[in-house]
Amino acid sequence: MKKLWILISREYAQVVKKKSFLIGIFLTPLFMVGVTVIPSLLAMKKSAETDKLAIIDLDGQGIGEKFKEAIKQYKLDDSSPAYDVTNIYNPQPDDSTGISSLRKELDSLISAKKLKSYLVINNAVEKNDSVFLVGRSFNISANNRFERRISDILSGIRLQQSQINLGIDSVLNLTRRIELKEQSPGGKSRDFGTVFLTGIVFVMIIFMTALGYGQTLMRSIIEEKNSRIIEIMVSSVSPFQLMAGKIIGLGLATLTQVGIWLAIGLAIYSYRGALNISADIMGAIFNPVIIFFFLMYLILGYIMFSTLFALIGSICNTDKEAQNFIYPVTMSMILPLIIGMYVIQEPDSTVVTVLSLIPIFTPTLMILRLNVIGAETFSFTNSIVLEATLGIIITVLATALIIWLTSKIFRVGILMYGKRPTLPEIIRWIRY
Amino acid sequence: MNEYLRLDNICKSYDSKKAVDNFSLSAPKGSIYGILGPNGAGKTTTIRMIMDIIAPDSGTISIDGKKVDGDFRNRVGYLPEERGLYKKMTLIEVITYLGQIKNYPKQKILQSIDGWLEKMSLSEYKFRKVEELSKGMQQKLQFITTLLHEPDLIILDELFSGLDPLNIELIKGILLDEKRRGTTILFSTHVMEQAEKLCDYICLINQGKKVLDGHLSDIKAKFGKNSIQVELDGDAAFARDIPGVDSITEFNNYIEIKVASKADIRMILRQLTEKVNIKRFELMEPSLYDIFIEVARAKPEEFIWGDKK
Repeated sequence: MKKLWILISREYAQVVKKKSFLIGIFLTPLFMVGVTVIPSLLAMKKSAETDKLAIIDLDGQGIGEKFKEAIKQYKLDDSSPAYDVTNIYNPQPDDSTGISSLRKELDSLISAKKLKSYLVINNAVEKNDSVFLVGRSFNISANNRFERRISDILSGIRLQQSQINLGIDSVLNLTRRIELKEQSPGGKSRDFGTVFLTGIVFVMIIFMTALGYGQTLMRSIIEEKNSRIIEIMVSSVSPFQLMAGKIIGLGLATLTQVGIWLAIGLAIYSYRGALNISADIMGAIFNPVIIFFFLMYLILGYIMFSTLFALIGSICNTDKEAQNFIYPVTMSMILPLIIGMYVIQEPDSTVVTVLSLIPIFTPTLMILRLNVIGAETFSFTNSIVLEATLGIIITVLATALIIWLTSKIFRVGILMYGKRPTLPEIIRWIRY
Repeated sequence: MNEYLRLDNICKSYDSKKAVDNFSLSAPKGSIYGILGPNGAGKTTTIRMIMDIIAPDSGTISIDGKKVDGDFRNRVGYLPEERGLYKKMTLIEVITYLGQIKNYPKQKILQSIDGWLEKMSLSEYKFRKVEELSKGMQQKLQFITTLLHEPDLIILDELFSGLDPLNIELIKGILLDEKRRGTTILFSTHVMEQAEKLCDYICLINQGKKVLDGHLSDIKAKFGKNSIQVELDGDAAFARDIPGVDSITEFNNYIEIKVASKADIRMILRQLTEKVNIKRFELMEPSLYDIFIEVARAKPEEFIWGDKK
């Protein structure tokens, strides 16, 4: 026991003392924000410049002018207009040569980036699919705005034509569309973006620590094999102690890192008002039930995957050789990210439930499901809490099996230099 | 005899090849035992089995009358054939760490560390990293980590590899000191000349089988004196034709004459003095190397003798 503690302290110190550990503490969250938050922020972001538009209005009912007026309400952050309609062309609908030469001219303006896009309005009042937006690229929020404004204008014209004796404004008011708000069973409002972000953040932490520290563990075993220090080690401690010392030592380093992240997160959470941060996101993360399961799955996932990496390290002689074995392990770890969108929409489907109870997928997939479905209290009446608990039991059993298998292979593998063992050889090692 | 290490009928095969075949050995406490043999003879496999790193297919190993257990690891100092240390750690860190996992108290480690570094002329590197040391220095550092925790049994695989003559003398001196403390030392080597000067007992193995085992002086006596060194003036080529001479080897200023086992040595000397001036005439003990060559050429089974049971 005392020896194990000495082994653990050394492995821990070796990681924590390195500069890369400190850098990792600060860079990993930045990286995670980078891959998860920034793309969605960018997609939602308003353009910083006024977009120049042109309109070809073939209908002659002043739709172009009305549209120009209507989109003046949209402003950029510096309160300059978001859109600027530079020209409205009203060619005759039957002047096809004139129209096509006009379009060619506008096309070339777009290619030269002097124009963002142009609208072609042709028989819009009669037909619903006769307004075109021509451009090199499109912005989802701008498209929504244009669609809504043109619809309103066309509704107004149609109303006038249909001789219903009502003001345009009051009709628009009567036909107002509703927005569907999502709530969880507890009555808290839930926002798709928040659920997605928090879920992915947890999955990423489990994924990156297990993968990062697992590979560190694997490399350290390969390195000790190559430098032959391993033979001295097993003449002083048992191979199982050596393996356990490495896994626990690096595991404590992982917990240190995640602990620091949680502490930073809690600090931000308690000053969220001053920092002007959405309470939704922080509240979703700092939910005690989810934090409990997260820490359980983080530790279990780490132990399970790092043991697998220890197994790979013990039978390989070079990093390159190990890459072939890492691949299936990594693939099973990133599965939740691949099917993430489906899990978020159908977290309770049979496929997802079954997959989340297969030990190698459990840590990442179950934490994603927990976040999506949500759990406010630790109660088994909530099926996800029951399933998540079941997942822990299954993962513990699977991890115990993996540790047993690995310890059998490890003690022989670490002394095998030069050639990689074949599968029958490995099976023979397990037997004795 | 106060037996410390005992191996009984150890066998180990890799695939179809027998690495160690029915090997037995008994080392008395406080003795220096050399396992000698060419590369691939099965020395390292035998040592790894003693160290409980690999398990024998059959046979038993006992130390101090008991089967090897976890506690044994703390009382043995082991230097593997392939040497390596944690390159990124400093000398003091490595020594302390490797001492601690032998359950040797940290306080005692820190007390003796300076003495050891001094003895190995490594004092100035105490706080430097292992990777800054030359290969020879790393070897010496490894000796410190092998011996620091005052083991009862020291096992050294390919003891002399990578050491220069000066350091070989240094290590020999240290090992003799350890022997005086009552430590049992077992080492393997294929450098016979050095082993000869250090061992009490030797065991020659070839192709996994023991070919010779016993106290060094017994072995030498058994093989008798069968060569003569002669320092002389003039051409010695004629000596080849003297009856009773097997062969001669000419060196710079002397010749070595291999004599047939029942030859009359006085007759040879007389014939030599008739033709040349002799400055020195000496009956030589056979070297271990010669003995090995002689016994290894024959079938191993015919040469197991000197069993001390």
